[in-house]
Amino acid sequence: MRLIKTIMAVCFAAGIVPTALHASSGVPVPPAQKWSQEGIFGTLDKAAAKRGAQVAVEVCMACHSIGLVKFDQLRQLGFTEAEVKSLAEVQGRTKADRMNGALDAVSAKDSFGVVPPDLSLITKARKGYEDYTYAILNGYLNESEMELVNKVMADGNISDQEALELQSALLMDTHDKGHVKAILERLIGGASFNKYFPGNFLAMPQPLNNGQVSYTDGTENSLKQLSHDVVTFLSWAAEPTVAERKSLGFWVLGYLFILTVLLYAVKRRIWASAH
Amino acid sequence: MSKIMEWIDARLPVTELIKSQATEYPTPKNLNYWWNFGSLALMVLIIMIATGLFLAMHYKPDALLAFNSVEHIMRDVNYGWLLRYMHANGATFFFIAVYIHILRGMYYGSYRAPREILWWIGIVIFFMLMGTAFMGYVLPWGQMSYWGAAVITNLMSAIPVVGEDLVTWIWGGFSVADPTLNRFFVLHFLLPLLVVGVVVVHLWALHAVHSNNPTGIDVHEGKDTLPFHPYFTIKDLYGMGVFLIIYCYFVFFAPNAFIEADNYIPADPMKTPAHIVPEWYFLPFYAILRSIDFLGAFSKLAGVIAMVASIAILFILPFLDRSPVRSFRYRPLSKQLFWLFVANAIVLGWVGYNPPDASLFHGAIPLILIGRISTAIYFSYFVLLWLITALNIEKPRPVPKSL
Repeated sequence: MRLIKTIMAVCFAAGIVPTALHASSGVPVPPAQKWSQEGIFGTLDKAAAKRGAQVAVEVCMACHSIGLVKFDQLRQLGFTEAEVKSLAEVQGRTKADRMNGALDAVSAKDSFGVVPPDLSLITKARKGYEDYTYAILNGYLNESEMELVNKVMADGNISDQEALELQSALLMDTHDKGHVKAILERLIGGASFNKYFPGNFLAMPQPLNNGQVSYTDGTENSLKQLSHDVVTFLSWAAEPTVAERKSLGFWVLGYLFILTVLLYAVKRRIWASAH
Repeated sequence: MSKIMEWIDARLPVTELIKSQATEYPTPKNLNYWWNFGSLALMVLIIMIATGLFLAMHYKPDALLAFNSVEHIMRDVNYGWLLRYMHANGATFFFIAVYIHILRGMYYGSYRAPREILWWIGIVIFFMLMGTAFMGYVLPWGQMSYWGAAVITNLMSAIPVVGEDLVTWIWGGFSVADPTLNRFFVLHFLLPLLVVGVVVVHLWALHAVHSNNPTGIDVHEGKDTLPFHPYFTIKDLYGMGVFLIIYCYFVFFAPNAFIEADNYIPADPMKTPAHIVPEWYFLPFYAILRSIDFLGAFSKLAGVIAMVASIAILFILPFLDRSPVRSFRYRPLSKQLFWLFVANAIVLGWVGYNPPDASLFHGAIPLILIGRISTAIYFSYFVLLWLITALNIEKPRPVPKSL
């Protein structure tokens, strides 16, 4: 029996291995961020979601749609009707319209080669969820990383030292230098490179930059803040009923818990006469 | 009131049926909590049919509308999110209940004479549930719905001669498309109602031979039994309370724990996901399917046969087990084999979850090798159980004369 128990223990431990297996598959795991809506007790940071809606309308919706949400629903985040109207006007729409972007599918295909995905469910539709979307927005190369790439490619030769530096900057395996060189050439040629995108190259050029949107509430508008806010908004857009679900959940679980304790007491009492 | 009942009973003996088959139905007094999972499975079946009925009122089985109609349910229908999450997680909890129910039967020898037909009907229900769950997973028409349907239906093409035509017939075209979705919806609606019918027969068969019990011995009615009500009604209700707490935790606080992220991407026939995985409850069988890859052109057919056989072999389990004792409680070797079988099923599930070309320890142990060994262990359970009982290798411990 001991042998069998050991085998069982190993098998359950093996259940943990999949994470390790995936980590070694080449695509870096998006670093975990703090999201106020996370967890059983988490609640949406409405102020952040409201700012994020502004980022989404002014920036994302130039190409993407968020078609499962109507402008009018933004009032749930604390916008006034007048504010909703003016947000809708940014995209030339009315408050009753769905949040469809300005770019139609045909011209999107002409400009980018692909139709930008609808963002309504983006935080539910990618492994890594909110962390992934945040990682993509922050996963483009910054100036110093670009400098490194230019420095490496100046002599067209990747030294071992440079390979190590590239590995930590680009978060990729740089053992195959020929492969790395091909990637860097494509990168310098102007293709959009992202550390967290599977395959690294995507059609979307860096969409958000430091200071791109001005907030009216005085919140700083760094890239990190803007992307945190817009992902918070997209998380709300992916499932606007989360708050209702969680609050009902407490009542349901509380009710069931009391009911089950009572049922157990009744069970004990009934069975007391059975033996 | 009693006058009315008398009038009815004279024409249809309702009171007599309720007494003999429910309230006073003699039940072994030593049933442990593993015996709760039959009634739990029935409870989930009722939840699934009830939520499914209301979901069907808002869902659109159309390739262009299906995905958004599910989001319409999530966003616009009053408590639609609750219906959908109860239904989606209900599938998971249905299989948890059913797997424990089956394993309980295997451990305590509930498949042995005179309960063979009861056992077989249970396996038929299990096959029907798998079909229902598979088609239900296709309905949201996300990427995993679409490609899961494509992979699994394609398996039929391995059948000699008629395979290709059969697949076209099932699809209603030359690929998984609108006609496929439409018929899967109809069948997904129909099958659970048939399951209800077969469950009734399952209960009929149960009441004909009565419940097994942890000792596996035949019980003496009266001395060893208790009336079903109130003893087992309250015990089942308590079990339901515990089960519902765990189920509702997932429904309200982790509803997407068992849903692949890819299924929130609308189905795209032009774009294959990087890694197609079935739902967790199919993973061990999926691993068996993929493990047969060494037979060249016959691999696909052999894999399909192995996968179907891995469940169908349960049909002959009553004849493989030759032990004079039913319950593994008194069978040391069978008990060891049983736990090895359970542990191995978990390994198979893990193999099925990971990409086929994955490996452990940087390529030292390819996953496919683990899959093949686990597949061998899975089937060897049935062979070894037969060997140790048919050749009297196992010496069972003494069995009590009564409860």
